[in-house]
Amino acid sequence: MAGATHVLPRVMPRPALLRRRAVRRAATFYLLVSPWLLGFVLLSAVPLAGALLMSLTNYDGLNLDYVAFVGVDNYARAFSDPEAQHALLRTLLLMVLVVPTGLVLQLLLALMVDQPIRLSNLFRTIFYLPYVIPVVAGAWVWKIFVDPSGGLVNALVGAVVPDVNIRWLVEYPTLVLAVFTIWGAAGGGMVIFLAGLQGIPAEYREAAMIDGASPAQVTRFITLPLLTPVIFFNLVTGIITTLQVLVQPMLLSPGILGLSPGTVPPLDNYLYPVHAYIEIFVKQLFGYGAALLWLLFAVVLGLTLVLFGTSRRWVHYGVEA
Amino acid sequence: MTRAAVRYVPVSFFAVLFALPIFWVLVTSLKRQSEFGSSLFPTQLEWPNYQLAVVLADFMHFALNSLVLSGSYATIVVIVSALVGYGFARHRAPGRNQLFGLVLALLIVPTFVQFVPQFVLFARLGLTNSYWPWILWALGGSPFAIFLFRQFFATFPRELDDAAEVDGAGPLRIFLQIYLPNAGPAIAASAIFMFLWVWGDYLYPALLLHQDNTTLAVRMANAYVDPHGNPLQTVTMAGVVLYVMPLILFFAFAQRFIVRGIVTTGLKG
Amino acid sequence: MEELKLTTTRRKILIGAGALAAAAAAAPILAACQPTPKTGGSGKVTVMTDPNEFSDDDRKTLENATKLKIEVVKSDLTTLYAMFAAGNPPDVFRVQAAGLPQYISRKMVKNLQPYFAKSTLLKPDDLAPANNFYKWDGKQIGKGDLYGMVKDWSPDFTLFAYTKAFDDAGVKVPSDTTALTYDELRTLANKVNKKAGGKRVYWGFVHSNNDQWIDRTAMNMLAEKNQNLYSDDFSKLVISGNPEATKVIRYLYDLAADGVNETPIDPSPNWMGADFNEGQIAILQYGYWFSAMAESDKTKGKTVMLPAPTWAGVRRDPTMTATGWVISSQTKDPDAAWAVFEQYMGGKPAQDRAKSGWGVPGLKSLYPQMPQQTDFQKQVQKVLQGELSKSDFILQFNPYIGEETFSTSWKKNLEPALKGTISFDKFVQNIESEVNTAIADGKRIIGG
Repeated sequence: MAGATHVLPRVMPRPALLRRRAVRRAATFYLLVSPWLLGFVLLSAVPLAGALLMSLTNYDGLNLDYVAFVGVDNYARAFSDPEAQHALLRTLLLMVLVVPTGLVLQLLLALMVDQPIRLSNLFRTIFYLPYVIPVVAGAWVWKIFVDPSGGLVNALVGAVVPDVNIRWLVEYPTLVLAVFTIWGAAGGGMVIFLAGLQGIPAEYREAAMIDGASPAQVTRFITLPLLTPVIFFNLVTGIITTLQVLVQPMLLSPGILGLSPGTVPPLDNYLYPVHAYIEIFVKQLFGYGAALLWLLFAVVLGLTLVLFGTSRRWVHYGVEA
Repeated sequence: MTRAAVRYVPVSFFAVLFALPIFWVLVTSLKRQSEFGSSLFPTQLEWPNYQLAVVLADFMHFALNSLVLSGSYATIVVIVSALVGYGFARHRAPGRNQLFGLVLALLIVPTFVQFVPQFVLFARLGLTNSYWPWILWALGGSPFAIFLFRQFFATFPRELDDAAEVDGAGPLRIFLQIYLPNAGPAIAASAIFMFLWVWGDYLYPALLLHQDNTTLAVRMANAYVDPHGNPLQTVTMAGVVLYVMPLILFFAFAQRFIVRGIVTTGLKG
Repeated sequence: MEELKLTTTRRKILIGAGALAAAAAAAPILAACQPTPKTGGSGKVTVMTDPNEFSDDDRKTLENATKLKIEVVKSDLTTLYAMFAAGNPPDVFRVQAAGLPQYISRKMVKNLQPYFAKSTLLKPDDLAPANNFYKWDGKQIGKGDLYGMVKDWSPDFTLFAYTKAFDDAGVKVPSDTTALTYDELRTLANKVNKKAGGKRVYWGFVHSNNDQWIDRTAMNMLAEKNQNLYSDDFSKLVISGNPEATKVIRYLYDLAADGVNETPIDPSPNWMGADFNEGQIAILQYGYWFSAMAESDKTKGKTVMLPAPTWAGVRRDPTMTATGWVISSQTKDPDAAWAVFEQYMGGKPAQDRAKSGWGVPGLKSLYPQMPQQTDFQKQVQKVLQGELSKSDFILQFNPYIGEETFSTSWKKNLEPALKGTISFDKFVQNIESEVNTAIADGKRIIGG
């Protein structure tokens, strides 16, 4: 703010003038952010309020003739719905499978391509590629890759153990889904780690090296602690995204690819958002589905807050780069 | 020698692992359909698969739909988000920080939670089967892009504004003449992500658009079939390659700019 | 480079979430938004149908005959509901009989009785028995006013046998004059079922297209004992409490466990018709219409049609799809919608369909136009004539649930059951509880 004083008029303004300036500045601000504000009210706040109301009714997405207020019935139902419980457990399992492994992999990739190596741009591109491949294409990639007869995986397995015909999407659907998810997200996380690594001043590491630290020690005691904010960021976004995985398991259902109202992923991949989707768009239970989704939001919010709570202990905001 | 091995062996190993599934799509796309499942590699490259992929799916029609939708969404949302980001970065007002918190809070509301009521809203306004939902979303800006621009503009020296203000320029002119022209990396990064989001999104077009004006993503979700309804995996893979190829070429070219864009905009959090 | 402080972010998020909740609580009721009225009398009729059943030539023919413009939307349940939700449903849409009771209960379709009464093209006496699926008396289907019509239909429980699979197994192809019992069929299916080196050679007996209409198959079997899967008032799915229903469900489950049918743990990437064409199915249960495409390069000269099997000695071979058209209750121009409907069902497109052999015509007067040139077509006609006399039945579908509610639940639970994670009894209980919940929801929505 130091620079601003230079342009103030030489005569000290009276309080009224100051207030007028403040009002004008505020007006300018609100004018500038008005598109977002309007969009927020109309496309977020109003619909979300609608969703909240919807979750308290039996709304079927079709007809207002029969709409009735049902109180918290839909929420009570969610707690006694065995499918919802199964689905939530599967979603949490996917999160456990995907987030830690993914995080380690992203960091590893970033450390590897951060080294002064030849073709580093090529490597970066290869790792980043799956991240930009649209979900539909990614699902096809994995469907064909693990196809029982035309896939490479079975061909490779078959070279070791002859006469196998593993139907991956039937026998190990969650494994395929987890690998697909990790593969698809790795590039995005890697780039953010890379940005973090490049923000660490080279002198820190050089100084440690001069003091006789091994590369592993440098990573462990210098790089990692300085990266904790980035690790934290990737952890939070990883968890939020994984809890919302919806389209992938549906697209990975065995059989012809494509979503139709009858598409139910294998039970192992019957994730929580899938359950909500089916309740809403297949069974037309908009009210119940809305309740399910609010509960999902509660889980996301809860986990996020817990993470922020623990972050004090291990996230270091030491260096201002 | 061993140092080099430490540097190159793991990274190459992972690169092969990452590229193999994509490589397999390419291989499959060049097989004859009769070779699918019977022969590991094509005996000769079956280029006509690509021609079939274009003809059978009316590929160009859907590609144009995708291009129009992604392009117009990205253009509008970037301009709006830049303006809003500029507002957040440079203009003080009571409630500003709370509002910015709201922007960030929306990032953790699951998109599907927001979409279901939006779907009902669009349906009741008669906006389904049109591109209006995307235009409206774009006009409201994107929290992600707003955040990005706000971070980016916050690094600009304030003296720029002050000098311009002395010249009597209003905030809009300052934005258009000083901030926007210097926001290249942020514009590029956000435009790419926003374009990519629509180009790749499956759920919204599947639920909001009908057959004819839907996007390539939805069309590609269904396998190509022969007249008897038998799936043609090889042609489908050719279609997938055509769907993804523009993105790959673009990213191979733009990779270094993206990394730089993210570094300079402080996106890392 | 600026670094965002995540500690301050947390506070912002908390404030943000609070503001979000406040904004949410203060906002008006979303559901109260009125749908925009559709401009009526535009001379345009929107038809939601399967493009495979409605060619561009059909469209032009109908446009010429009616002087109306026709817009075609691809048939899809989600899209249909979305259009209804938008207050802008298609004027005419394609349905299958199983969905009809629900559409009528929810007041989505129009009573067409007055139009049929006046029509010269579609005379009530001329309607094939399958059209009874489109009658509704206020409580159930089968009698009462007409709400739609089949585009064509087939007795749907006939079998198609691929003779090569029988030759390979050294088993005689069954006679096409006597019906098999379902028990005989199961024994036979296990004999011709074949896998080699972990790969599928022949599926023994494939039915219900990946279990998509498994409930209809079960309902027709049960009907031979004068029973239904549901209680009389459709308020409950009753399997475990009904020994006859349990037997039928057990039978269908056993077929899946035998591995003679396509199942979630042994799926086919294709629909079952395509697998038959590929020569991978020994016995396939499909209606007459399939004869139009049953002969592929592989199966030509090796395919015979067999009469529908019987469960309890009382042969029934109705249609179970009764695919046809209805008119939306919200259409702004019912006369125009009817004009298109009438021409499609009784005009040139109907005659073209009859000649193609893709189903038995919806009008009896068109029956003679079915093709009878090749040996296979002659054999098929011979079997079909026997089946037509057994086809004047309907299946009572549950008005409270969607047409895929039962099959969705079946498919979902079949997977763990076949893997041995849950017992057969638990499998049945799960289906009962899921479907009964859906019935309760449906009742709550439409009242009753």
